[in-house]
Amino acid sequence: MKTPLSPLFLAFGVAGALFILATLLLQVFAIFGRLVGVTLGGHDAYAGYFLAAGSFLTLAYALRRGDHIRVTLIIGRFEGGARLATEIFCLAVATFLSGYFAFYSGKLAWGSWQFGEVSTEIDATPLWIPQLSMALGVTALALAFLEELVYVLRHRRLPPQDDTGPANVE
Amino acid sequence: MSGDLLPAVLLIVLMLAILGAGVWIGIGVLGVALLALTLFTDRLAGDSLALTVWGSLSSWTLTALPLFIWMGEILLKTRLSEGLFRGLAPWLQRIPGRLLHSNIVGCTIFAAVSGSSAATCATIGKMSLPELRRRGYPEVMSVGSLAGAGTLGLLIPPSIIMIVYGVAADVSIGKLFIAGIIPGLMLAGLFMGYTAVWSMRNPGAIPPADAPLSFRGKLAESRHLIPVMLLIIAVLGSIYAGIATATEAAALGVLGALVVAAAQRTLTWKGFWDSLMGATRLYCMIALILAGSSFLSLAMGFIGLPRHLAEGIGTLDLSPFALILLLMVFYIVLGCFLDGISMVVLTMAVLLPTLQTAGIDLLWFGIFIVIVVEMAQITPPVGFNLFVMQGMTGHQISYIARAAFPYFLMMVVAVLLIWFFPPLVTYLPSQMKL
Repeated sequence: MKTPLSPLFLAFGVAGALFILATLLLQVFAIFGRLVGVTLGGHDAYAGYFLAAGSFLTLAYALRRGDHIRVTLIIGRFEGGARLATEIFCLAVATFLSGYFAFYSGKLAWGSWQFGEVSTEIDATPLWIPQLSMALGVTALALAFLEELVYVLRHRRLPPQDDTGPANVE
Repeated sequence: MSGDLLPAVLLIVLMLAILGAGVWIGIGVLGVALLALTLFTDRLAGDSLALTVWGSLSSWTLTALPLFIWMGEILLKTRLSEGLFRGLAPWLQRIPGRLLHSNIVGCTIFAAVSGSSAATCATIGKMSLPELRRRGYPEVMSVGSLAGAGTLGLLIPPSIIMIVYGVAADVSIGKLFIAGIIPGLMLAGLFMGYTAVWSMRNPGAIPPADAPLSFRGKLAESRHLIPVMLLIIAVLGSIYAGIATATEAAALGVLGALVVAAAQRTLTWKGFWDSLMGATRLYCMIALILAGSSFLSLAMGFIGLPRHLAEGIGTLDLSPFALILLLMVFYIVLGCFLDGISMVVLTMAVLLPTLQTAGIDLLWFGIFIVIVVEMAQITPPVGFNLFVMQGMTGHQISYIARAAFPYFLMMVVAVLLIWFFPPLVTYLPSQMKL
């Protein structure tokens, strides 16, 4: 679905993928570094931050690509008005919950910055920096849900899906 | 008990209603947990939500997940499955069932470099199904053995679902991986045994063997197996020898897969980027479920539901064996509606104390739950392998599920075997160098 915010979600998704790439590079450096006797202090913590950034930033883009799993067994049989009504319900619930989550993610990062909290491990990173990825990513997810909700309410039809289908990982 | 029962029943009904209505699973679970905390405790739900999800998703142990997914995405684009079929086929001509076993042995080997059953099924089937059809093998057996053996992608390490379980139950992922090896090979043996017995009872159904190769010819064809063997050694060997953690092995796996792809000249920049983007999206999907379930675990802990459940089941005076059988039925039913990852994380949020009270080893239970999730992969209406097979063969879900049913029964046999002979699971991990 092409919407005004799509480019933003794509950009976040690309950033997320780059963070996953960075996670790989970090692990590779850790392995080969150990072989030559160089240890990277706190690389575990950094791998965790990169991984978190990779997952949170990609949330909205993955929603647009239809990756997030939902149970369609029942609603798949609905048609017309009933299907539309359940979709509005789902999107409203999801918009509210992700908005709530986004608010508190922002509050967490803001609190960490306010009180100058640093990681308790040896990396001693100021925590608001990695936590920002959660605040931004979840906010993007909330916006993506909201955009779809507005679309369904205005056009009285389901948002067009990319035909990639749900993510198939098992 | 009755006073505690009300919130539990209310939450379960609410959960079913929200998930059944089609709310995205991770988000829906998060909502139920939020409501539970708000209604039944005086905790500040929002702050705990952000802190818990942050803590669980920025955990270093999860790093293995996207990396193993990425490795699979890269291998999917290589000609590894073609090499597997060519290398294996000459050796299988004499076994009853002949090339039907290429499905099973192919999946077993590919499962050792792939963490997912859908990818295993798709990769092997892409090569074996056309070859089996061309030679006139019975369709129902080709489809059934592939659907069944594809699920070995979960049990034979590396395994996405084992990482998820390991994180949810706080069990060493390296040990889980190694514990899956013997049950995985045993299950492959059961699959091959069933296929051979079926073929002996239906001798007319199996087409004649291909022109025999000399022993040297067979060995020459086996060179196609070398890349996949090297990858297995790099990934599993490094974990077993204690050289690498599961996460580091995953990183080595990605590097190895890139080397294989480069050597076959199937690696382009576009392919590289697509595989990275694909892996990131797949991981993100899992991450959302993990986010919801980590918060659910917290909420459940606060309202004490898992403890009450453990006490409730304790008063039933079930033997551990009866409990395991009960859980098997429960998971098979649940697997009709939910995907395996959601199933594992949602149930572990409430089941842990019950298992601990019953004295069930969590490492053993991890292998049990993976086999049961494998069953769920091939039971309708929701089974990922059924969907994959439908896409590949064009058959109805019901046809594929019927074809795979004997293999489902073999998994039940496998569960009974590991129950009566637990060393099948626990021996190898106990021998690991750590």
